[in-house]
Amino acid sequence: MLIDKKRSRLEEVPQVICTPTMDARKASKKRKAVTRDVEEEAGVFSGDELSAENLDGALSDNANDLSESEDDDSEIELIDDFSDEDDEEEEELDSDEIPSDVDEEPKKSAVKEWNPEEPNVRIVKDANGNERYLYDEINPDDNSDYSDVEENANTIGDIPLTFYDQYPHIGYDINGKKIMRPAKGEALDALLDSIEIPKGWTGLTDPATGKPLNLTQEELELLKKVQMNEIPGEGYDQYEPLVEYFTSHQEIMPLSAAPEPKRRFVPSKHEQKRVMKLVKAIRDGRIQPWKAPEEREEVDENLINFDLWADEQERPDHIMHVPAPKLPPPGYEESYHPPPEYIPDSKERKAWEQADPEDREKEYLPNDFGSLRKVPGYENFVQEKFERCLDLYLAPRVRRSKLNIDPESLLPKLPSPEELKPFPTTCATVFRGHKGRVRSLNVDPTGIWLATGGDDGTVRVWEILTGRQLWSAKLSDEDAVNVVRWRPGKDAVVLAAACGDDIFLSVPPIADPEIEKASLEVIDAGWGYAASNPTPHNPEEKKAAPPTWIRPSSTLADVGVCAVIPLRYVPKSISWHRRGDYFVSVCSGASTPASVAISIHTVSKHLTQFPFRRRLKGGGPPQTAHFHPSKPILFVANQRSVRGYDLSRQLLVKILQPGARWISSFDIHPTSSSASGGDNIIIGSYDRRLLWHDLDLSPRPYKTLRYHRKAIRAVKFHPGGRYPLFADASDDGSLQIFHGSVTGDMLSNATIVPLKVLKGHKVTAELGILDIDWHPREAWLVSAGADGTCRLWM
Amino acid sequence: MSDDQGSAAEPVQRQVRVQLTSKQEDIALPESTGPILVPTGLRRYALSTLVNNLLSSEKPIPFEFLINGTFLRTSIDEYLSANGISSETTLEIEYVRALIPPLHIASFQHDDWVSATDVLSATAPAATWASGATFSKGQERILSGSYDGFLRVWNMSSETIATSPAATEGGHTASIKAAKFVSPNQIASASLDRTVRLWKYTEEAGGFSGKIAPQLELYGHKSGIESLAVHAPSNRLLTGSSDHNVGFWSTKKADAPAAPENLLPSNAARNSKRRKLNSSVSTAQRGPLALLSAHTAPVSAAIFDARDSTVGYSASWDHSLRTWDLVTASLVDTRTTAHSLLSLEHLPDHNLLAAGTSARHITMIDPRASATTVAAMTLRGHTNAVVSLARDPHSSHGLISGSHDGTVRLWDLRSTKTDKEGIVGESVYSIPRKSLEEEGKADSKRVGGEGVKVFSVCWDETVGIVSAGEDKRIQINRGEGVLSSAKE
Repeated sequence: MLIDKKRSRLEEVPQVICTPTMDARKASKKRKAVTRDVEEEAGVFSGDELSAENLDGALSDNANDLSESEDDDSEIELIDDFSDEDDEEEEELDSDEIPSDVDEEPKKSAVKEWNPEEPNVRIVKDANGNERYLYDEINPDDNSDYSDVEENANTIGDIPLTFYDQYPHIGYDINGKKIMRPAKGEALDALLDSIEIPKGWTGLTDPATGKPLNLTQEELELLKKVQMNEIPGEGYDQYEPLVEYFTSHQEIMPLSAAPEPKRRFVPSKHEQKRVMKLVKAIRDGRIQPWKAPEEREEVDENLINFDLWADEQERPDHIMHVPAPKLPPPGYEESYHPPPEYIPDSKERKAWEQADPEDREKEYLPNDFGSLRKVPGYENFVQEKFERCLDLYLAPRVRRSKLNIDPESLLPKLPSPEELKPFPTTCATVFRGHKGRVRSLNVDPTGIWLATGGDDGTVRVWEILTGRQLWSAKLSDEDAVNVVRWRPGKDAVVLAAACGDDIFLSVPPIADPEIEKASLEVIDAGWGYAASNPTPHNPEEKKAAPPTWIRPSSTLADVGVCAVIPLRYVPKSISWHRRGDYFVSVCSGASTPASVAISIHTVSKHLTQFPFRRRLKGGGPPQTAHFHPSKPILFVANQRSVRGYDLSRQLLVKILQPGARWISSFDIHPTSSSASGGDNIIIGSYDRRLLWHDLDLSPRPYKTLRYHRKAIRAVKFHPGGRYPLFADASDDGSLQIFHGSVTGDMLSNATIVPLKVLKGHKVTAELGILDIDWHPREAWLVSAGADGTCRLWM
Repeated sequence: MSDDQGSAAEPVQRQVRVQLTSKQEDIALPESTGPILVPTGLRRYALSTLVNNLLSSEKPIPFEFLINGTFLRTSIDEYLSANGISSETTLEIEYVRALIPPLHIASFQHDDWVSATDVLSATAPAATWASGATFSKGQERILSGSYDGFLRVWNMSSETIATSPAATEGGHTASIKAAKFVSPNQIASASLDRTVRLWKYTEEAGGFSGKIAPQLELYGHKSGIESLAVHAPSNRLLTGSSDHNVGFWSTKKADAPAAPENLLPSNAARNSKRRKLNSSVSTAQRGPLALLSAHTAPVSAAIFDARDSTVGYSASWDHSLRTWDLVTASLVDTRTTAHSLLSLEHLPDHNLLAAGTSARHITMIDPRASATTVAAMTLRGHTNAVVSLARDPHSSHGLISGSHDGTVRLWDLRSTKTDKEGIVGESVYSIPRKSLEEEGKADSKRVGGEGVKVFSVCWDETVGIVSAGEDKRIQINRGEGVLSSAKE
């Protein structure tokens, strides 16, 4: 077979050489084949026979020495295949038509040239019915075989001979000797040479030697024999007698009883060679494990893939896009061989095991394994990965805009108390003298004297700065002085004090004679009026008959009391009208009949009137009442509301619902009605609230201040509006000073700034501070305490 | 020597060249002493030791050090860096005797709160004005006016030499708020009964008893009189009253106009028995030369200019300080501060008026029209209203203040520092009331100075610091050398 093939190849050679007029198509193909790259041809041409070496060299002038042996396929098939391939290529260039020679397809699969597009594998069923891939036989390209080098071969390698044009030699032989350039004869000699063609002339030049390549006699004879279809070798006897090494007869009995030879059990060298071929092919990349992609796709069709992130794309950087958080890298604890300090002791281990899985600080216990191969499989792996996946796609990731806000900035922009000075900060004077509680106090309009009244039934007048008591009058032995109020105005010094059921009007002997005279006249003017116009007695309203003012007893008259108004019920509040002619008193006792609870007294007429016949609706007995500082409005507070009555029109004009359960006191801002047109009222309540009402805004409080721990007993604006201050006094023994400025324009609300808590009064019998008052000019505050002292704060 | 100590303690300490000088000859260093190289870490004490060593005095004298007119209160290093002075320069350091604490000398017990006090001594203004009378040492008298309406004259042995007559015999009918010696023989007092009274004071030969006889009653104020200033050479009085007026009076019966009828007690509307008794003694009644009205609140203090008796100053609760031309009885200037002013003192050498405020500090006000800032300096330290001020008779930069917080404080105008509120001074000494100490409550702080308020202070060169207060005492403290007297 091998010989056949060789022959067939040799037969081809004359075709090339001797039939120059070939079919045009074939010729072009051949040309193409010749001009191909060596590597490509290496796969095409075959034959590792030494004898064919020269022939190959004769056929192509630059053919590589190395050629591959062809195993099974015939030369003709090869050529056909080759041409077909060319055809295909050409057709592919021309059109996209399917190659016409479909029937030659199986042959093509046998081509040894590996085609990455095509499978180099056949799939057969093995004995078990499984698929078995059968790879093609691979020519291992055994480069361990070296072709013999000619004795005087040129050793310059693959260098063009033109490099040696300048030299007399053309290279070096294996021994390092120069191979001299063959002498060139004259042109005539050359011509003669050409005319006289020697035997064996080929007209080619041996590239190795540079000499004209001539065939030897033997070669010529061989060629001739080949041409004549004769046997190639000379000494070859075609008809030698057959030597039967192995008989054709089947012996029944074995020739020897020898056991199976060893060679049958040792690995076969031949097989090893084949394996080596495969190994080499794999190394060279000619064999690649190949799987039919179609088969995979068919399998995938039956499965439904839940690839959550299949359609996930790179998202543009957006503020609301939050990438999944990365798991933290494992720490020492998660090591298979953690440092000893990470390994839990038995107690910790026990605690971890006993703890509820949800309560465990970490989900694993650090374990020490001597080496990595001792680490068992992690039993929670799947669960953890599953939970991680759940985390990743179920956990809603929201970019929480973390409020990076300075807490200070959330506070309302209030001016600092330092800027709002002056306001009272320290106790400057303690007025000591009263026995028992001091229930009420009042600074006189000139701001020099302080009047106080207390449980000991005395009214006292003090020098405000030094705390020196200047005057004292004991109004009653049993009853407490509930309230003392100076008459406003500097033209007279009149002090109204409520003690027991009576209101005493007195002129303390502290003023100069002129003013004292004026003061006495203010009070005395009414005697004549009351005498000349006696109050008409109405028999139906006998109970509510207005009281007549009486002269005090001589002892009281000596100390300065000028008039007494017997009210029959205990007045708890007195408030003067700003002109000093009227004052309103409120008897807030629950037993007081509603018709006589509130009374307005006219000093110039010694007249007492009861403007309210019925009780104010909703909120129990009236508590306190004040005249508006500039308008003819009387504000009356009962336990839960404050009502404003227009005195000139005798109408209810305002109802305030502060929401407090029991109002203790209220005060009207002295200047806001003239400055901004609207009234502001502060209300203190026994349920610990201080309420600021802006009458323009709503009947509900504008601000509710709950800073006291106990009931608020008194609230007061700084009079005159010089300082925008107000203060409250509480049973917890503290005073609180606020800045409360009312701006002139209607748009802005009042600014309320807490300024200072003044402490100093002792809480006695759960009562702290009972009354407060401001100095008319200065930011000074006086407070009356249940501890029997009054204090001046400045 | 201390140089060595200093460098041993801190080897890397910088050194500065200082020239130590003193204006007092008895403690001055010899002329030959040139600049000394001292470590900059030295403080007052180390410097004082150094000077004592240089003087080689047997008994070490504590010294205070003045650099550029301010006391050294830190180390030299800190002073240099605070003032940006290079340590290369030679520092001129003046040293003066350190202050001696104003030790308590005596207390005179009264029956009631003592509201006013004054001193008659050879160095007191009343004696110096009375050029004719010679005043012998040891004859010092202390005048006190009390809330019980009596004036008392004390000698230094805490004996009452004389007491003013009771209200029925021509005395004050209400608390005395201010009292001053006009001359060794005359006393002026102002009271809450709206009168200023002039008394003739006579002493018997032995000086163990005397008599205060009413001389003149001055009517004009409509409310209690808070302060009284006297200027004997011109026979003038200046009063400040709660009726918002400043009264300008003459001590001479002949000069003074007639008393306003409506203010006389006989005109009172009320016929109380007490007032009737008033008429048992008849004293001449006169009115004011002028009532200066511009204040809008009680006038707490009115004083004469220390150099020019035709200029008066008044301080009021209306926050203003007013300058009056007393000749024409006209208002010259008004300086408004932020707080009620309760006391006033003139410091002529500094052209400053010290005003005690209700806001617990003393404001130094430059009354000159050219002054741009209202408050030139603030002295802080009191914890209650400052109601009385007196200047140091020994030096031009000393000041004492009496406050309702129950302390008398000494101030040195040189001992100041500058902070964000301007120049702020701190008191050099704070004199507590001896009564507190005797009660064993020296450490306890009285709220609002209750029971120990100081109402009046007076600083006499001979007697010392005299203060009167709510503890019904006059307290005398040593006044000499308490401030480093660098008398030029």
